[in-house]
Amino acid sequence: MAAGGFLLALLLLSCLAASSNGVTFSSLQRTLIVRASPTQGQVLKAGEDKITVTWSYNNTFPPGTDSTYKTIKVKLCYAPISQVDRAWRKTVDDLAKDKTCQFKIVAKPYSASNSTITWTIERDTPTATYFLRAYAFNSAEEEVAFGQTTDAHKTTNLFQVEAISGRHASLDIAAICFSSFSVLSLFGFFFIEKRKGKASRQK
Amino acid sequence: MEVEQKPNDLSTQKFPLPVDSEHKATVFRVHSFAPPHMRAFHISWISFFSCFVSTFAAPPLLPIIRDNLNLTSTDIGNAGIAAVSGAVFARVAMGTACDLVGPRLASSSLILLTAPAVFCSSISNSPVSFLLVRFFTGFSLATFVSTQFWMSSMFTARVVGTANGLAGGWGNLGGGATQLIMPLVFSVIRDIGATKFTAWRIAFFIPALFQTLSAYAIFFLGQDMPDGNYSKLHKSGERHKDNFPQVLYHAVTNYRGWILALTYGYCFGVELTVDNIIAQYFYDRFNVNLRTAGMIAASFGLANIFSRPGGGILSDAVAKRFGMRGRLWTLWMVQTIGGLLCVLLGKVGSLGASVAVMLVFSIFCQAACGLTFGVVPFVSRRSLGIISGMTGGGGNVGAVLTQVILFRGSRFSTETGITLMGIMILCCSLPIWLIYFPQWGGMLHGPSSKGTTEEEYYMSEWSSTERNKGFHQASMKFADNSRSERGRRVESAPAPVDQGTPSPGV
Repeated sequence: MAAGGFLLALLLLSCLAASSNGVTFSSLQRTLIVRASPTQGQVLKAGEDKITVTWSYNNTFPPGTDSTYKTIKVKLCYAPISQVDRAWRKTVDDLAKDKTCQFKIVAKPYSASNSTITWTIERDTPTATYFLRAYAFNSAEEEVAFGQTTDAHKTTNLFQVEAISGRHASLDIAAICFSSFSVLSLFGFFFIEKRKGKASRQK
Repeated sequence: MEVEQKPNDLSTQKFPLPVDSEHKATVFRVHSFAPPHMRAFHISWISFFSCFVSTFAAPPLLPIIRDNLNLTSTDIGNAGIAAVSGAVFARVAMGTACDLVGPRLASSSLILLTAPAVFCSSISNSPVSFLLVRFFTGFSLATFVSTQFWMSSMFTARVVGTANGLAGGWGNLGGGATQLIMPLVFSVIRDIGATKFTAWRIAFFIPALFQTLSAYAIFFLGQDMPDGNYSKLHKSGERHKDNFPQVLYHAVTNYRGWILALTYGYCFGVELTVDNIIAQYFYDRFNVNLRTAGMIAASFGLANIFSRPGGGILSDAVAKRFGMRGRLWTLWMVQTIGGLLCVLLGKVGSLGASVAVMLVFSIFCQAACGLTFGVVPFVSRRSLGIISGMTGGGGNVGAVLTQVILFRGSRFSTETGITLMGIMILCCSLPIWLIYFPQWGGMLHGPSSKGTTEEEYYMSEWSSTERNKGFHQASMKFADNSRSERGRRVESAPAPVDQGTPSPGV
């Protein structure tokens, strides 16, 4: 009994130990300014509409803060309203486990001055409310700073993306046809069965 | 009941397998496809397999579907519940359908009627439509009852356990195979060029077509009984048609049936629940990709290839020495160990440990299913069909309850839900202690000191009027055959040497 409990504790400890070496979001400084083209509440279509993102370093911070920045990655992130009751989009402080930002827009080498890209929203982007966030990475591929288009509580400047349905007319027709065929086959079966029953009784 | 052998073609019919007086096969040769017996076995397990594949085709693709249809955890949980709730009543009704039109027409009809739901999964576009297609697809799981019914019509008592265990186990395999098949089909279609949100829709045509084809195979290649189909057989009165209200009464008033329905809910019901949640669990918690999550999830269901039949074989082996008491003890122990492993599964935090625990858990969980159906045939002889349907339905009720309480919405994280499910298994397996057969005993006590015999137990299901008409004779024969449930140590009353009604040939 004691040995089993000890083993279980060891197992749990090793799991915990393995997971607590990631960078946390709360340790990052918001040193980047990120602006994007979508306005508050705008609805964009996946696969069609474009987003223009501009980011730069906020010079009001002490000089040298950005000395470790090597690359910038801009990501499309879920707003809180799209995270409700969806544990697979949860915001967690440990960035290794954080699922807020699941879509990478671009990765570029860092430069303190303005950088801009225009991105067409990917076709498989789900219907949801989003904002944009840029992470600055050091040479060890760890997050060291961030910037985002919304405020700290993620309530302002959110926009929506409308996904494609994935349906096509040909699929709809095929589904209906095959379904009808199945049901009609059933009537066919009963008809054949009745005929066989009659035939054997006539024998 | 002795069948009067009429001098007709039936007695001169040659069967590829050795048969008894009812033309039921006395041996089970798994490699053979010989009509009608082995062919019926293979057609029935394959069609049951296809129903499982369809019913659990959505879970491995949920990471894609949930984004396409904008589902919340509550929506996903509700759809999972809907998938297993339809079969609760469908399973009970299927037993009656088999009695009326035969397992061949009953199962092929159900399969063809549920195939449209699988085809229409491709065109669902909202949480509501998703729930509806999963609900109607789930009805197809009632083919479990027709499978067991069909095997009981084709094989004698000595091998029917093996036939039932293999047909049930290999059918359940579908729940595991689908976790491999669907991600594979999805990635092939996506690689051909479809976007994610279209590829999963096309992928659903595969299980749907498979299901439809299996219904055709049942209709054209299958046969209800060794001697032919219901519609062609001239019912000469050799099969007495029982009184349905009486059969129903004796099923619902037998408390053992209700206890087994509850405990089956916590081995088979747990299996269904895990089929629904496990791929998403591994995908979300351990960040593996869709294919890997599917492979891990598949290994849970694939253990059915040997674990469920193994449970049935274990039940028979234990009964040789310890009789029914051994069957009950083994059932409780195996199911309880399964519960402990389930508690552990929710606690382990690393991928490797999770997979290992899940595999061992799957073996115990599924063996418990096989062990349950080692006890079910003895609960009642007259109402065997309905008791089997109740137990089968109880399995689905367990799945519904567990998903409603633990895996719907965001109240519990999935890992907490799994641990709590393990605790529910432990609690709901305890009623097995209450099962008591006066002629054989139960877990706590030996057989009744009053010396109740098997005949008395099974005869109590027939009224004196029915006994005077001789309707109970089949039960008497079964009672005689069931004396082996006393085990090797004969504690219960010796077999009665003088019976009131002389039964020739028993």
